Amino acid sequence: MEAPAQTGSAATDAADVARVLAGEVRAFEGIVRRWQGPLINMAWRYCRDRSRAEELAQEAFLRAWRNLASWRGESSFSTWLFALAANVYRNDLKRFPTVNVPMEDVTEPSGPATQHSVLAERSRDESVRRAVLALPHRYREPLVLFYFHEMDVSAAARSLRLPEGTVKARLSRARALLRKRFPHLEDEAQSPELPHQTQRKEA
Amino acid sequence: MKETEVKDAIDNILANEPELIPSSGFLASVMERVQEESAAPPPIPFPWKRALPGMILAVGIIGWGGVEFASHAMQSGATLTLHAPDLPVVVTQHLQQAGWIAVACAASLASWLFARRLTGRSGLL
Repeated sequence: MEAPAQTGSAATDAADVARVLAGEVRAFEGIVRRWQGPLINMAWRYCRDRSRAEELAQEAFLRAWRNLASWRGESSFSTWLFALAANVYRNDLKRFPTVNVPMEDVTEPSGPATQHSVLAERSRDESVRRAVLALPHRYREPLVLFYFHEMDVSAAARSLRLPEGTVKARLSRARALLRKRFPHLEDEAQSPELPHQTQRKEA
Repeated sequence: MKETEVKDAIDNILANEPELIPSSGFLASVMERVQEESAAPPPIPFPWKRALPGMILAVGIIGWGGVEFASHAMQSGATLTLHAPDLPVVVTQHLQQAGWIAVACAASLASWLFARRLTGRSGLL
């Protein structure tokens, strides 16, 4: 995924915001064009439902439009936008939660011996990603934002408006829960690399 | 370094999500809603100037009524003994229900008239 923090230039964002605040509605299109991908992908990580992700992202853009004047340039536009979007997604998902299976009901694909195909690997990956949604809320969101921000703890902390230490502690707990649920990942990490994994890395 | 290896496996899976491409109509749909919002008239501010006298009057009447009721109750409380008319239970119940309905109707009418007065569309008050 394209690095969200690097998408679009800060100067362009600031210029577009100034134009919108001056009454030029069309200038908001540039902001949407630049940030639609990151905001939809962020929403996708929260709900894993494509159409809902787009609805959530649209709601986040509308909220941004209404509150554009509250961005005073103290933080970068992206930081402000991601924090606002996280707030929109969190509140919406509180009101209409995604249908999650409990953590203990997330099925772990069979052991590494049978996972010698790309299909099995994809299925395992999807199980792990779905398991994230089954994590308790306080651990889920830091994990979602940490990986969305390409494993940048401080960016995740800024989006959550939480201290970095808190985010680190919750990340550690979230990872521990996932490791407990997927013990085969340990075996796999120890086992020699499979041919298709090598191919993927090279690609 | 077992833990690091496992962390890497989870990191690999969660960090390498396939990227979603926004649907073709997404941008247009967002801009359409933004245009709608920008074209909409600004919200009507609450008419404090019109409402304030009425509100003060209502609070005054309620307060005065409360004080009057309390003083009467204190004066007559010791001496007054109420003799309820000897009516059958069914009739009493019906009377009570009718009373509540009348109170609810009066409250609804009053609030409707008050709302019309606030919005300045009243031909009645």
